[in-house]
Amino acid sequence: MTDDEEFFAWLDGELDAARATIVEARVAASPELAARAVEHRRMAAKLKDAFAPVMEAGAPPPQFHSAKPIEFGARAAGREARRASFGVPQWAAMAATLALGLLVGNLVGGSGETSPVAVDSGRLIASASLEKTLDNGLASVPTGSGARIGLTFRNAQGDICRSFQDGPAGGLACRKGQQWRIEGLFPGSQGQTSDYRMAAGQDPRLAELISQTIEGDPFDSAQERAARDKGWR
Amino acid sequence: MSSVSFETELAAVWPRLRRFAHALARNPADADDLAQMAAEKAFKSYGQFQPGTKFDSWMFRICRTVWIDTIRSGTRRAAHEAPAELGEGVGFDPRPATEAAIDLKTAMAAMQRLPEEQREVVALILIEGFGYREVAEILEQPIGTVSSRLARGRQALLAMLGEEI
Repeated sequence: MTDDEEFFAWLDGELDAARATIVEARVAASPELAARAVEHRRMAAKLKDAFAPVMEAGAPPPQFHSAKPIEFGARAAGREARRASFGVPQWAAMAATLALGLLVGNLVGGSGETSPVAVDSGRLIASASLEKTLDNGLASVPTGSGARIGLTFRNAQGDICRSFQDGPAGGLACRKGQQWRIEGLFPGSQGQTSDYRMAAGQDPRLAELISQTIEGDPFDSAQERAARDKGWR
Repeated sequence: MSSVSFETELAAVWPRLRRFAHALARNPADADDLAQMAAEKAFKSYGQFQPGTKFDSWMFRICRTVWIDTIRSGTRRAAHEAPAELGEGVGFDPRPATEAAIDLKTAMAAMQRLPEEQREVVALILIEGFGYREVAEILEQPIGTVSSRLARGRQALLAMLGEEI
C-alpha cells in the first residue's frame, strides 16, 4: 500500500487501529495532509449528495409477474373430470392436485403451520389457522393478526364462500361439509397486507374468481353473523 | 423461491441500484436502462442466489456485469467518451463548484471522465458506501487493486471538480 492509498484507507476508516493511529499522527503533524483530508472528505460528500436526487424519485422497480394465478375448484375440477373421462387415471389427477397443493403451500409462506392451505385426500383445504378465521372471523370485526375476511356469499350450489387475505396471499374458500375448500389462491404482491380490509377488487384475478362464483349479493354484516351462528350451512 | 421474495428484495435495493447505475452510465436514460436490465437478469438468475449471502452485493455485481457487457457489445458509446454537452463545465470552469453543491449532471459527467475501472470503485465506495473488502468481492479483484484504483479515481475527481471544493 502506498502512502496515498494508506491515507485514503485511513480517511475511509479501513485501517486497523494501530495503523490508523500512525496515519492520524502523521496527518495531525502536517497542515498539508490535514487540508487534503478536508478537501477529499468534502469532495466525497458532495459527490454523494449530487446523486441523492436519484434515490428520491424515478422509475419504480420492475414487476415480474412470474407467479401464475392458481385456480382450481369448479372449473379446474371440470377439466380434470374431462381429462379423466379420456382415460387419464384418476390417481394422476389426484397427484396433480396434490403437487399443486404443495406448490401453493410453498408459495404462500412455507409449509407446515405457516401455510394457509393443507391437503386432504388430494383436495386443497384451509389449514387449521385459516380454518379458524374462516369459521369465526367477521369482515366487520377485523382481527389484528392472521388472515382477514373479505366478502361472504353463496355460490350457485348454495354453499357459502368467503374470500380472505392471508399475508401476501389472497384467496377464496367455499364450505363443503365440515371443510373449507380452497377455490383459488393468488400469491399476491407487496403492499396488499397493509390494507385495513381486503376489497373484492384488490387482486383482479381474485375479483374475477369471486364474480364467477357469486350467486346473488354478498352478505351484509348481519347476514354474515347469522351465517356464522348457523355453522355456515 | 417465489417471485414475491425477489420483488421484495429488489424493492429494498432499487433506489441504490438506480443510483449506482447513474454513477456508471453516461446519461439518466442509459442509467435507467441499465438498472432495468440488471433487475431482469437478476430475476432470471435468482435461482443461483444463495440465501444467507447479501442480496445487495449480488445485485450490484450483476449490475456491474451488465454494464461491462453493454460497453463491450458496443451498443452504447464507449463510456469514457463523455458527450460534449455533458463534458462542458467539468474541469474547465475556472470557478468550479467552490461553495455550491454539485448537481447530478456535473457529477455524472465527472464520473464519465474516469476510466471504467476507477469509476466502478469510486461508485461503490464513495457513493454507495461499501467497504473495500466487499467491493473486492463484488468486482472479483484483489483488495490492493481496489485501493489503488480508488486513490487514482479520487485524485482525478478532485482535480476535475476543483481543489477548492
